[in-house]
Amino acid sequence: MPRAKGRSSLLALARNALPAFAGILLTSSLGGAPLTKPIASYQISCRLDAEKKIVEGTELLTWTNTTRNPATSLQFHLYLNAFRNTLSTFWRESGGIHRRDRLPESWGSIEVTRMTLADGSDLLPALAWISPDDGNPHDRTVAEVQLSRPVAPGETISVSIDFRSRLPRVAARTGWKGDFFLVAQWFPKIGVLEERGWNCHQFHSVSEFFADFGDYDVSIDVPARYRGKVGATGVRVEERNLPGERVLYRFRQESVHDFAWTADPDYLVVDDVFREPGIADVQIHLLLQPEHRAQEARYLTSAKAALSGYGRVLGPYPYPTLTIVDPPWGGRGAGGMEYPTFITGGTHRMSPVKENSPEDVTIHEFGHQYFYGLLASNEFEEPWLDEGFNEYMEDRVVGAVYGSDNPILTVFGWRFPIGIPIRRPLDVNRRYFKVAGEDVLAAPSWKFRSAASYGGQVYSKTALALATLERLIGTPAMNRALRLYADRWRFRHPKTADFIAAVNEVTGQNWRWFFDRTFFASGAVDYAVESATSERATPPKGLFEQEGRLVEKNPPDLANPKGWDSVVTVVRKGEVALPVEIALKFDGGHTYRSRWDGEARWRRFRVERGPKLIEATVDPAEKILLDVDRTNNGRLVTPDPRAASRWTSRAVFWMQNLVDFLTVAW
Amino acid sequence: MSRRVSAAGCFLRGVALSLSKPYLAVSVWLIQLLLACVLILPVSNALHALLDHSSTGSRMVADPDFGWWETVRRVHPDLLGVLPTAVQDATGVEGVKPGSLAGLQGIGATAISLAFLGIVLHAFALGGIFGALREPHSSLVVFGREGMRRFPAFLAFTLAALAAALAAYHWIYLVTGDAWRDRIEDLDTEGQAMALTAARVGVLLLALAAIKLIADSVRAIWVARPDLPAVSRLFAGVAAAFSRPARLLGVLVLYVFSGAVLYFLWIFLDPSAGGEARFALVPLILAQQVFVFLRSLLKVGYYAGVSEALTRVPSPEYSYVPAAGVAPPPSVSRAPDEAAVDGPSGTI
Repeated sequence: MPRAKGRSSLLALARNALPAFAGILLTSSLGGAPLTKPIASYQISCRLDAEKKIVEGTELLTWTNTTRNPATSLQFHLYLNAFRNTLSTFWRESGGIHRRDRLPESWGSIEVTRMTLADGSDLLPALAWISPDDGNPHDRTVAEVQLSRPVAPGETISVSIDFRSRLPRVAARTGWKGDFFLVAQWFPKIGVLEERGWNCHQFHSVSEFFADFGDYDVSIDVPARYRGKVGATGVRVEERNLPGERVLYRFRQESVHDFAWTADPDYLVVDDVFREPGIADVQIHLLLQPEHRAQEARYLTSAKAALSGYGRVLGPYPYPTLTIVDPPWGGRGAGGMEYPTFITGGTHRMSPVKENSPEDVTIHEFGHQYFYGLLASNEFEEPWLDEGFNEYMEDRVVGAVYGSDNPILTVFGWRFPIGIPIRRPLDVNRRYFKVAGEDVLAAPSWKFRSAASYGGQVYSKTALALATLERLIGTPAMNRALRLYADRWRFRHPKTADFIAAVNEVTGQNWRWFFDRTFFASGAVDYAVESATSERATPPKGLFEQEGRLVEKNPPDLANPKGWDSVVTVVRKGEVALPVEIALKFDGGHTYRSRWDGEARWRRFRVERGPKLIEATVDPAEKILLDVDRTNNGRLVTPDPRAASRWTSRAVFWMQNLVDFLTVAW
Repeated sequence: MSRRVSAAGCFLRGVALSLSKPYLAVSVWLIQLLLACVLILPVSNALHALLDHSSTGSRMVADPDFGWWETVRRVHPDLLGVLPTAVQDATGVEGVKPGSLAGLQGIGATAISLAFLGIVLHAFALGGIFGALREPHSSLVVFGREGMRRFPAFLAFTLAALAAALAAYHWIYLVTGDAWRDRIEDLDTEGQAMALTAARVGVLLLALAAIKLIADSVRAIWVARPDLPAVSRLFAGVAAAFSRPARLLGVLVLYVFSGAVLYFLWIFLDPSAGGEARFALVPLILAQQVFVFLRSLLKVGYYAGVSEALTRVPSPEYSYVPAAGVAPPPSVSRAPDEAAVDGPSGTI
């Protein structure tokens, strides 16, 4: 199709046009050996009751204590209990609204019906609910069992668990809608044991997940009408008919830290392959809704662009498969989410090309295969390391492949692009400016003032801060820092300090101050040109020394000054200081550039007897993307009324039309 | 021999009448211009203060800059308030709530107030238009006189129609939107959801069209049948609308269509784009006002078309008597279904 061809051309163009990715050699980490040593591995057999919306299963957890301390207890995530009632921490924090959607009053839960160790000892009586984050006595999303015998450092144990999961109407990344199922956070999953103890957070409204790597082997028993319409984390290794009009699918994947699956008899299954020299092929499975059939190429092209773009900066995607789920109408709560090797997208029946949906969401969720999947940072405690870093990379990849987006005007459900470009990364992250100063970016996810502040800080401020850093240290250095960070921390749990260390190592400078002012402070950046004047130079007046006497006469060299005297005052209106450039543009095309460390509250630039000043601009190259008000960054010496006059005439014209419309109606 | 009058014929005759009495369109255009001019100073001052010294201004000459627009909305909420959001909500699936008006500030609030004032002035203008249309030798003086003469009644019709329209919006669009807000997600496909919204919009548009046509019929008959008592004129107007629904709706559809064509041409040609090179300010303003004047001509033409669709002979209220041979004999030009209201010689 022409569109698909066009997008393929875009992809090819992007490969050539991505200077940011130049010079980075792709190397494969696939070689048959385990990608990483497993800590928490699962063998799960489950059965879906599609009518009752219940998954019953048995899991065998194999867990190794990798700390230096004995473990006297085990802690488990039981996250479906977030949907158990309105007293859960998730419901309390969300107020019944998630991602601007009202949560359906359809309840979900997970019950553990058996928990035994390999020696047969029953752990269930020792299971107790805990709420380490907020002390909510009604929250049932984290459970702890005391062990009769501690697990020694380096020791591996097996825990056998039976569970029963009731799925809610799809919301907050899991559930059902009709025959569609997105089954996530559905099995008892062990927390992360650190040297300081268990790291096992409750299910919060805006936060995501944190778990250890392991190998997953999952068998899923579904009604026969789902034959061929089941997708999951990892590689499908078995399909087998079962008695009673049922079918079993088995999936395996090593070196991941979660497992999700989906089933929908309406899926159109599209298979494709991502191929790039030097790295192993990736099988792409697209599970598409029939009414989105026309967007098949858009999904696949964007997925390949993501595989290529992220891979070139952060190293090759190491898994053999990528499954993309297109949620149905009414299943928006399942959209825009990431699980290992498995992402959910989302689009509209009629999505204008310049809306870049499903492209944006596909690329973003794929990006989490790195920032969350491979670089498994703690999404509760440092959410910017996955969402913010990924937003930054998404802006780079989408910007390189698709350019700018357009805002969308929705008229009675129909979507129309408005011909105003939304530039990346500045314009797409403007939501930060609305919440600048509300929170410190570096805060636990559940401690932000609001969901808007969380989104503005964690996603957008991080993206703008990293883009600013890239402009300060240069794109090649930024790429090397990202690659060093990604290589060093692949299959581990990195922290912010680890990325700062990578930046310092690559640049040979200490950039801690930058992160202190952007990540660890709440203040805003705002530089402005307060005034810019340029007046014809005049001879000085007063008494001057001439031949040893004071006389009221100008010295000959000052009597007839030529040129213009220009004065520019640049001010720092925000609390945060960053180094900025100042450009003074003079008549005749001369431009004078200067750097200012930005620390003082203001700085004045004076040019005597020079050409006439035309314009003064602070940060002319738009490096400081965190500047909350760019409209005050440039100032003309001579006002130019053209734009205002034209827009005034437009305003009056459309006001006339509004009056015409309203009066003609009645 | 009688001949059926088509909606297109009525509309075209209405436009011809409008062209023959251009001062009516000029009057409508002037009212709209003067109302809009109230905004010139606050809009102009705000824009000049924000753009004249700004480097962004040069980028804004032709096209808006997303970043500038977003920043101004954020930094200067006093300028527009929630107007952009309210406008977008009005065309949203759930619709705009009356409470949205409470959040309006500055220029946005002024614009809405002016629109209400425009509705009141429109009642005056309609009296003038309908009255002057029935005078073969009318003038601006006639327009003013007729406007003032009909003003109380026409204002009442206008307010009643406005109230009915708001009620229709509330009961047909908002209430159904609320009722379906949760259930719409249960539909199988987005296509079904869009069809449901389209049905809600369609029913709303039909209701609004019915309200408008009834109001316009009442106005037309109010002027055409001054011999009847007020209550009779009111009911005769309503009856007239129901007696010729297809023809009236046809006139309305042609009016909406021709207006849409004008807007399409305006947006397609986009004379305000391209910066200073393609269109300087004065030609731009002239083009804008020519466009609005054409809209006004069509508007007057529509009302004349409605009048044509309902009655085509001068009212006996006036002294003018058509010369023999000028006015077509009623049996030739009148449609068979016009007998109830047409023909002063027959029924008055």
